[in-house]
Amino acid sequence: MSGHVRGFARFVGRTASRAWHHPIPTGKVWEQAWFIGVKAMPILLTMTAFIGSNLALQGYYAFKALGGQSLLGMFVSLAGVREMAPLMVAAMTAAKAGTEMASQLAVMRIREQIDALEVMSIDPYTWLVVPRCLGILIALPALTMMCILTLIGTAWLVTMLQLGESGPQFLHTAFGALTGQDLWIALFKAAVFGLLISLISCYCGFRSKPGPRGVGDATNAAVVTSAVVCAVVNYLISEWMYA
Amino acid sequence: MSEPIISLRGVSKAFGDLVVLDDVDLDIPAGQTTAIIGPSGTGKSVLLKHIVGLLHPDAGHVFVEGVDVTTVSEAELYEVRKSMGMLFQNGALFDAMSTGDNIALPLRHHTSLSEAEIRARVEEVLEMVELPGLYDRPTSALSGGQRKRVGLARAIVLQPEIVLFDEPNSGLDPLTSDTIDRLIVRMKETLGVTFLVITHDIVSAAHIADHIAMLHRGKVEAFAPTAEFLRSTSPVVRRFLQRNLDLDATTAGGAPRLPHLD
Ligand SMILES: Nc1ncnc2c1ncn2[C@@H]1O[C@H](COP(=O)(O)OP(=O)(O)OP(=O)(O)O)[C@@H](O)[C@H]1O
Ligand SMILES: [Mg+2]
Repeated sequence: MSGHVRGFARFVGRTASRAWHHPIPTGKVWEQAWFIGVKAMPILLTMTAFIGSNLALQGYYAFKALGGQSLLGMFVSLAGVREMAPLMVAAMTAAKAGTEMASQLAVMRIREQIDALEVMSIDPYTWLVVPRCLGILIALPALTMMCILTLIGTAWLVTMLQLGESGPQFLHTAFGALTGQDLWIALFKAAVFGLLISLISCYCGFRSKPGPRGVGDATNAAVVTSAVVCAVVNYLISEWMYA
Repeated sequence: MSEPIISLRGVSKAFGDLVVLDDVDLDIPAGQTTAIIGPSGTGKSVLLKHIVGLLHPDAGHVFVEGVDVTTVSEAELYEVRKSMGMLFQNGALFDAMSTGDNIALPLRHHTSLSEAEIRARVEEVLEMVELPGLYDRPTSALSGGQRKRVGLARAIVLQPEIVLFDEPNSGLDPLTSDTIDRLIVRMKETLGVTFLVITHDIVSAAHIADHIAMLHRGKVEAFAPTAEFLRSTSPVVRRFLQRNLDLDATTAGGAPRLPHLD
């Protein structure tokens, strides 16, 4: 465990120093951003659409008993923007992009392709890790914005069409409750989660043990670790920003 | 023997309880070809990885062109590596790239050649390893022997001063094997390249190598100029050579005997 923490710290240090000192392969960064964003989008937007719908339902029934239906918009937007959207993005990205990073790099590790890069004096951190981290850093805030809109959008539709409440009032309280700071914090969370997921997943891939078993274990460790770390960090950021 | 370009001094390496290299001293002469032979699993590939700095010895030092690769900074190590080309035992090709792009990788990273020049140079080395016209072939569509030769082409594309080949002949038919042997001899003679070649093929070693070293149980069992090595009286070496020598007996009508190695 402590060996992994130390190893991870060294890994992060190297990646950071390469990103700082070496020319960044911008082509690969955009390729990764595109890849991560587009691949995660269908599942992510579907999931958030149905989370939006349920936030609306649960909020409605909870508030209705107290006669506070008008607060529904506020509830959806605060819970959705502040917590659900960034966390959903993190979870889906860890499951899709993160596992893909871990398994790709693990395969490269066990087939000695990473060694081959080093021998060719092509820095594997600059070439493999930095583009993935920066790509995810571009993709996740964008995905989070889309998630926020989808989430509020479906909640609005459910409020109007299913629950028979006023659509304009929903939107009014939804956006009235949101401040610019809420959005910034959500995007900040997304960026932090993105960095954590990519670094953890790449680290797990780099450390893969030989054989198919090694690749499987690396992928598994990547998704479990990054999901847990993101959940904890989400709590810490919320505590720090909103307390 | 000319100046050593690679020197191992007291190199030891163990993985857990498994001692792979045990206080190895070895001097690889510059501008010549040295073959390393030895039973499977004795640490030949591990030795090569110490020379390029991929593995770190538990004890001892490895000098390449006078630089101690076991103690240099990472940045300096990358500099030293620019003068080396290495073929990995399994090729280590990038599956997502075409054959040509694999070979072009070092050119794209370390030269400022134009795309057209890169393509021309890659076609040239493909020609040298007898794979003309395969530039656009996906690496997944290559046979084992072809992959090996693409790895070989990638190792020499920058014309390094030191070339390390981990079993360039394994999986190749005798004719292609011959071509690779001739390629090694020609590059050594015309460009003065230092080759360090791991091989199981004694015939090939006898053709290409100026010196042969045998690794056995973590030690250098024998290291001598080729002719002398082939006359070695060391029992381990004799048993290892036996199989190839037995071929004469076989063709002369005698039954082949299986050599025993431990
Ligand atoms: N990274 C590693 N971790 C643990 N053990 C290793 C590692 N690399 C090699 N070994 C072990 O070291 C020993 C020597 O391996 P090496 O690959 O050098 O053998 P070799 O002489 O090249 O054999 P072959 O002729 O079959 O290629 C083997 O027992 C191998 O399992
Ligand atoms: Mg080997």
